[in-house]
Amino acid sequence: MRELLRKFRPLILGICLVVAALFLYSANLRKKDQTSFFEQAVLTLAAPFLKTFDLAWERVAAGWEGYLWLVDTAQDNERLREENLLLKAELENLREIRLTNERLRELLEFKEEFSLSAVPARVIAADSTTWSRTVLLDKGTRSGVREGLPVVTPAGVVGRVIKAAPGEARVLLITDAASAVASLVQRTRTRGVCRGRGDALMLEFALRQEDVQVGDRVVTSGTGGVFPKGLLLGEVARVERGDFGLFQTVEIAPAADFSRLEEVLVLVEDEP
Amino acid sequence: MKQALTFVLLGFGCALVQTAVFPRFLPPLARPELFMILIVFLSISQTALRGGLIAWLLGLLVDVFAAQTLGLHGLVFLVTFFLIKLTERRLNTESSLLLVLLVFGGTLVVRGMTAMALLILDEAGRNWQIILGQMATQAFMSALAAAVALLVVRWACRRAGGPTGLPGLRYLDSRYEK
Repeated sequence: MRELLRKFRPLILGICLVVAALFLYSANLRKKDQTSFFEQAVLTLAAPFLKTFDLAWERVAAGWEGYLWLVDTAQDNERLREENLLLKAELENLREIRLTNERLRELLEFKEEFSLSAVPARVIAADSTTWSRTVLLDKGTRSGVREGLPVVTPAGVVGRVIKAAPGEARVLLITDAASAVASLVQRTRTRGVCRGRGDALMLEFALRQEDVQVGDRVVTSGTGGVFPKGLLLGEVARVERGDFGLFQTVEIAPAADFSRLEEVLVLVEDEP
Repeated sequence: MKQALTFVLLGFGCALVQTAVFPRFLPPLARPELFMILIVFLSISQTALRGGLIAWLLGLLVDVFAAQTLGLHGLVFLVTFFLIKLTERRLNTESSLLLVLLVFGGTLVVRGMTAMALLILDEAGRNWQIILGQMATQAFMSALAAAVALLVVRWACRRAGGPTGLPGLRYLDSRYEK
């Protein structure tokens, strides 16, 4: 018996490990909406690196645009060139500050418009897989951000918080295939559910006889329990009505530009 | 312990690159799965128990950085590790082409198993369809990344003046592949 155990030891150990991994996975399936200690610890550990890289990248990008590419353009006069470059660099810095200022002002106006408490946050990282659509924010539970809160930009809805560590939070974008938002077509009040498809959105359960046209704006209906009513999701990009079936196929182009997400607002509930 | 820590740190580095660097330069389809290179190297260099535990831990790291249910990639990486470990004994793992092929095949297995787990066990919408749709491109990109990594290692070995002592990369030189 001992001989047999020794012979099949690697196999038995392997099976035990796989069973343990399966057990951990199935146990966590029931606690998907909570952020475990392990997740919080890893996010907290990674955050300084991600924030430093984000800051460095911003500086390098600003430096590249404002200074480096100009090096080859002036060769005649050294003094004028240096002076010119310094001025250009300064100008680019100011321009970047102005753009940031405009974005933040837009965020503030948006916040006032909806009269909701909001926490401005910065996107510091994306997802490590190519199929899932999430981003990491630099604000977490210390700033009042917690799981389930909606995240928006002045352009439209971004997603909802699914994991929150003390200083960071992970947001599931509305374009992720696991995301579903209760929504309605603004013009005709046609109801449906907006589901992510990676890069686009599909309006599901919109009845075939309902009037939906290309260019119609789709907003949140407020019935899903996460997003307030009336937030812009996107515009109808394609409508297809087959000869049969209950529903029509409606493709929506998201209003928020997910390839250029920098600052977002996390809508938080007011303290009672 | 030291080796395990090295793998975990490498995994952490891979996660940082995949979340902070790749998204700024590459579209989703063109991003390689760096963890797959680690899993393949883990399979040919570590024992079943130690390698399995590290593969599981690396999977948990991916889950945190991908906001997936904790344990999904842990399970997938662990099974992939054992599958590679089973075939590795029958193959000449000192061939760099074979290592690249293992990364290609490993990525296909990881993607297939992830899609299956999401479809059967999880509530992840149509994510499984997206994963299957990207499977071939992802495997190719990961294999390409592995080939580049091997070229860099080979170059570094030549600069250092001889073959490396790392398992699987001991005789990584064109002289040994003829």
